[in-house]
Amino acid sequence: MSSQNSRSIKSLLLRHEVLLVLVLVLEIFYFLNNARNFGTPDNLSNIVRHSAEIGLLALAMMPVILTGGIDLSVGSLLGLCAVLFGVMTHDWHWATLPAAFVTILLGGLAGAFNATLITALRLPPLIVTLGTYSLFRGLAEAITQGTKTYRSFDPGFLGLGEFRFLGLPLQGWVLGFAALFFGILVHLTVFGRSFRAIGYSPEGTRYAGIPVLRRTAMPYILAGLTAAVAALLFTARLQQARADAGTGYELAAITAVVLGGTSIFGGSGTVYGTLTGIAAIAILSNGISRVPAVLKAGIGGELASLLTGALLLLALAAPALVRLLQSARKQPTT
Amino acid sequence: MNRYFRELSVTGALVLLLAVLAIWAPHFYQPQPLLSRFTAQTPALILTIGMTLVMIVRQIDISVGAQFGVCAVVAGLISASGAPLIVALAAALAAGAIMGALNGVLIAWMGLPSIVVSLATMVTWAELLRLFQQGKFINLPANVQWFGLSQSAGQQGLIFGSVLLLAGVSWLLKNRSGGRHIYAVGSDAEAARLAGINPKLTTFTVFVIMGTLAGLAAVLNMVQSPQVDPKCGVALELRAIAAAVVGGVAVSGGRGRLWGSFAGLLLLATINPALTFLHVEAYWEKAIQGLVILLAVIADGLRSRRQTS
Repeated sequence: MSSQNSRSIKSLLLRHEVLLVLVLVLEIFYFLNNARNFGTPDNLSNIVRHSAEIGLLALAMMPVILTGGIDLSVGSLLGLCAVLFGVMTHDWHWATLPAAFVTILLGGLAGAFNATLITALRLPPLIVTLGTYSLFRGLAEAITQGTKTYRSFDPGFLGLGEFRFLGLPLQGWVLGFAALFFGILVHLTVFGRSFRAIGYSPEGTRYAGIPVLRRTAMPYILAGLTAAVAALLFTARLQQARADAGTGYELAAITAVVLGGTSIFGGSGTVYGTLTGIAAIAILSNGISRVPAVLKAGIGGELASLLTGALLLLALAAPALVRLLQSARKQPTT
Repeated sequence: MNRYFRELSVTGALVLLLAVLAIWAPHFYQPQPLLSRFTAQTPALILTIGMTLVMIVRQIDISVGAQFGVCAVVAGLISASGAPLIVALAAALAAGAIMGALNGVLIAWMGLPSIVVSLATMVTWAELLRLFQQGKFINLPANVQWFGLSQSAGQQGLIFGSVLLLAGVSWLLKNRSGGRHIYAVGSDAEAARLAGINPKLTTFTVFVIMGTLAGLAAVLNMVQSPQVDPKCGVALELRAIAAAVVGGVAVSGGRGRLWGSFAGLLLLATINPALTFLHVEAYWEKAIQGLVILLAVIADGLRSRRQTS
């Protein structure tokens, strides 16, 4: 890669993230003026509490996409883990702590299942995780017979959904810890930096002496573990576990990652970009449902998802459009 | 023999399942319920035709379920206003073609990955539909159902028509240059370009065809019931993709046959009634569907490994 090329990619990235922060600032400014009770401390912690699960999935999705893969199964796995946790605590009368531990372990196992199929058998991640997307959700439905809902968890566990430390909800701490973990992993460790190399050029990375298949497996396992943690947070927040928990979350997670500037082809992206993407989506969906006109029509959820979809399309098309313009002028527009 | 291995093994599995049903659950073969069950699959069959083309050209389209829903509501609203069915059909086809063209522009000409583009358009169309229709069913005039014919005549017409379409597209795919272009672009877009094919145009056209077929499928679905459910397209894309994958269409492009996808669809569609007839609970359908997809790709992976080593 020539240095000029890397500089132009860098400037593009920079522009993307600057653009995203600008969108974020505009969002906040608009909602502060137009949405009811948007800027109150109560609502701020509300935003953090409601964005934690999708945020966690997005943080875990980021290394997967960085290696050039994708994981469509995380939303279904969240549902399956929530149901398994319900089975352990209710049907088997386990204590909360071991049940939570085993749930996270099973999430990791499910991730390892994806990883095995993708790396050992060299199957395309898209179709493998599409299969497990159906499989995990199907298992959750089969276990609950499609209708059963697990309620009345241990009050100590449910208290976690409302727990605060130093004024920040528990979800905020978990999200912050996950962001720190993935940030250090992806940006500061040799192990994690190989994800980027693999996404940029798997063959070149192999020639550089990195065990590509073994390294590619790790993000999928981490995604499984994270989905299980997100399932516990989801259950604690909604005080129930159902087979349809987390439906569509994989889309929101991918949206946050792509919005945050990670290339969907792999090879470039940052964790703080993903965090900004998560914030943009979380604030949009919270703020839009507080705009009086939307509130009156009761269409907050639909409008937020619609705008998220449109944002994703824009975020996707923007670099391609810039590239088209640049190649048309035969010189970089800075 | 080896050339058709994947297609034949799926067909074999289907025959086996049908034989099991014939022995342990012969009432599966009562003519009227069987006819109804087959008819209910015709919209999915039409989508599977399109999805097979999309996958042969090495792309994927997960927005077809949402496209199907939008087309169904468009056709439903037009029919409900009293316009003749042909107008509703034309509108649904046009709506589908436009949505397919949007995917095609973003994927073929902007070079964006189809999985994310169709993910984004899926969310956009599904949520627009939800905003617009708010989940309300559309009641249709009486003459829409079964094209105003008797039920069995309508069912036979639907089955005959969609199988005829399958055969026709299959023939075009195998024997006309346009069909061969799809295989060529899916195997190696650069080589196809050097051979004088326009890969972007081919990819774009396939997505427009996919959208148009989604419109057709929506109308074929509409004539089967007195109402239009705006959620009728949910998860249909998975069914079409599953049918194609099980039927031997390679996700890596350039490989696959329509009759394989057809056998795949029938196999998947028979699993659910088979579960009921064999007294396995129906809640397992989705899990088994996922398992069948995984088994099919694992089989493909093992086979291609053995061939390369």
